[in-house]
Amino acid sequence: MRLLKRFLRDIGSKYKPVDVVNINNKRFSSTLDPPIDIPELVYTGTYLGQNKQRFEPSSILLQTLSDEPSTHKVYVDRDTAWLFVVGKDIFDENIVDRTAGVRLGGYCLVMFGEECIGYGRYETSRDLRVVKNLYDVGDFLRRE
Amino acid sequence: MSGREWFIERYRAMGSTLAGDETTPKAIRINSFRTTDEKLVETLTEQGVELEKIPYLDHGYKVQYSPFSLGASIEYLLGQYSLQETASQYPVQALLPTPEDRLLDMASAPGGKTTQAAAYMQNKGIIVAVDINRERLFATENNVERCRVINTSIHHVDALELPDEEGFTKVLLDAPCSGNYVTDKQWFKRRIMEDIERNAELQKRLITKALNLLVSGGVLLYSTCSLEPEENEQNVQWLLENHDVELVELKGPGAPAVTDTDSIDLDKKISYCRRFWPDVTGTQGFFVAKVVKR
Repeated sequence: MRLLKRFLRDIGSKYKPVDVVNINNKRFSSTLDPPIDIPELVYTGTYLGQNKQRFEPSSILLQTLSDEPSTHKVYVDRDTAWLFVVGKDIFDENIVDRTAGVRLGGYCLVMFGEECIGYGRYETSRDLRVVKNLYDVGDFLRRE
Repeated sequence: MSGREWFIERYRAMGSTLAGDETTPKAIRINSFRTTDEKLVETLTEQGVELEKIPYLDHGYKVQYSPFSLGASIEYLLGQYSLQETASQYPVQALLPTPEDRLLDMASAPGGKTTQAAAYMQNKGIIVAVDINRERLFATENNVERCRVINTSIHHVDALELPDEEGFTKVLLDAPCSGNYVTDKQWFKRRIMEDIERNAELQKRLITKALNLLVSGGVLLYSTCSLEPEENEQNVQWLLENHDVELVELKGPGAPAVTDTDSIDLDKKISYCRRFWPDVTGTQGFFVAKVVKR
C-alpha cells in the first residue's frame, strides 16, 4: 500500500481505496463475492495497479483519478496523445491546457479530452520542459 | 476421413453450398458502457475509417476500410471498442445477461465475450471467468482492464474441476472446439474426425458441468465455432436426452440448425438453435444453442 499511497499523493488525489486485495503483487479493490468457492484467483473487481520500482497504476485507476477535481492534469490534442501512447514524452508547447496543480518536478495525469491516457512527471530535460512519460495506455500493446 | 474435399462433401450433404474458401471481414464491437455507437462511429469516421452496421448485432460493425490498425488506436486502447468477429458477437447477445445476473464464463480466454457480457450487465452483477490456459488468461486480464470492466473475477482453473454447486443464473459455454476453415487457413490439412469426436466428448462433459453449476431456471448458452454436427446438433441432442432442460428458440441470424439429412435424424426442436454457414452469413462457421435448466 505504501507505493500506491505515495502515487495517489503525488498525483494530488484524495482517493482512498477500500477492500484492497493483493494477488501476485497486483492490487485490486473488490467486494465481489462469487456464488461458489473457486480456487486460483488471478484478478478481481477494480484493478488498481501493481508495485514495480514505483506503483504502476492501471488504466481503470487513472480514469477514476481523472474525475477528481484535485488531481493534476495536462490536456493534449490527438496528435500529441498518439505520440504519448507510443511512449514519447510531451513537450511543454504541445500541452493545450493544464490544471493549477501542475508544477515542475511534480506528477500529472495526461488527458485526451475526458479520457486519461497515462501519467508522467513534469520536468526539465535538456533545457526543455516536458511531461516525461511514466505510464501510458499503449502498454496494452507492449504487454502482448 | 479428412481433407478438404471430404469435409466440403460432408457440409453439402447437410444442405450447405459452401465452397471452402470463404472469408470473414474484420469487425468491431462498440463497448456500450464506455461510449455510444454514434460517438465512436463519428470519431473513427473522422479518421478515415469506413464502418457498416451489422443489422442483427446490437453494437457490431463491419470494417470496410481503415487507414490504420484498429487494434492500436487511442479509442481501442481506451476500451471504447474491441475487435471481435461478427458471428462470435452473437452468443452473448443471445444469452442477454443483465445487471442482476451471476454469470459463469466457462472458457473465457481471451476475454472478448467476457467484456461483452460485462457491457450487457452495465458492469454490475458478477462475472466469474475461468480458463484452463494461464497464458491465454493474461489476454483476458488485459481485455478486462482495457475495457474498464470491474464486475469480474478471473480464475486460472479447469472448469471441469469446479465444485458441483448451483450458484449461477447464467452460464456461457463457448466451448473449446475444432474451429473452422474460415479463421484457420490450415484447417483442412490439420483436422481429422478423431479430433472432432474427442472435442465432442469434452464438450459433453463441460455441458454437464455447466448445468450442475446453474440454478434451477438458469440459462446455459452453448456455442462453438465449429461446423461439425458432432460438436453442435448432436451434442444438443445428447443434452436433451440426458438433462432436464428446455431448448429456447433463437430467432437471430444464421440458419436453423440441421436436424434432418441422409445421415442425421435429430429432434426437430434442435432447429431452434442457429447455425452460421459462412457462405450465407459472410462470417466464420458458428453454432449457438440456448437452454433453460428446469
